[in-house]
Amino acid sequence: MLAGQSMERRLQIAGILIILGLLTEAICLMWTRPAAFVVFVGLGGLCIAAGILLYLYSLASAKIESAK
Amino acid sequence: MAFPSTLILFLIAVTAALIGVLVYRPGLTTTQGGKILAFFVLFLLPLICVGMGTTYHIDRSKRTEFCLSCHEMEPYGKSLMVDDPARLAAAHFQNHRVPAEEACYTCHTNYALFGGFRAKMHGLRHVYVHYLGTPPAPEAIRLYDAFNNRECLHCHLGARSFEEGPVHTADPDLLPAVKSNKMSCLSSGCHQTVHNVAELNKAKFWKEGP
Repeated sequence: MLAGQSMERRLQIAGILIILGLLTEAICLMWTRPAAFVVFVGLGGLCIAAGILLYLYSLASAKIESAK
Repeated sequence: MAFPSTLILFLIAVTAALIGVLVYRPGLTTTQGGKILAFFVLFLLPLICVGMGTTYHIDRSKRTEFCLSCHEMEPYGKSLMVDDPARLAAAHFQNHRVPAEEACYTCHTNYALFGGFRAKMHGLRHVYVHYLGTPPAPEAIRLYDAFNNRECLHCHLGARSFEEGPVHTADPDLLPAVKSNKMSCLSSGCHQTVHNVAELNKAKFWKEGP
């Protein structure tokens, strides 16, 4: 039960990180200055990558916990 | 706003809304359908959004108005409008020898392997200097490397006006030297007047900036 709750918590954090990254991407798409690409990669890309990695980690750790 | 941008924004909105559902109801992921949904919205769709966004940004960075959006480049934009056929950049831009919407990129990219990537790296260096460094005065801006004839020959090689032009064929050694990059197209006496932004105050203009 506790393992399931911690996985749900990780999924929530992953989701929030990805939403933040997508919001950054959306703002950068409407921003026409050259810095937009840097912010898009540096901030948006970082948040999305962190969210996806956390999601994958939560999947992997759930497998390990269920195997135990 | 361009169509691809609208499409990406729509995809971002849909993805964010679906992620919002999962964040609000994480218990959904205990079911088979919820797991599939989570895979799509927490992995696949964000990757598609990032891929489409990156492609859009890279395409946009090739556009003339993008290059001219930094104030250091304003005189270079104005130089495209000088009413003088001897000015290389102006003559190319005004006569559509380069696509007007990608004028800067067409001449200043590198037509070698990974040339587009190198051009983007130079672009990032421009952004760094613009925001964190000390940008030089427009007339003091120099290319990172000497202009390679390869960039000119990408279009002109094989063209009749280039291969059979009276000035180009007057000296039989000229064209081989140009083609092997031993003699620059921008050499003094040939096409040496390119942007010449320091002389813009004396120039006559065809029309207002691009």
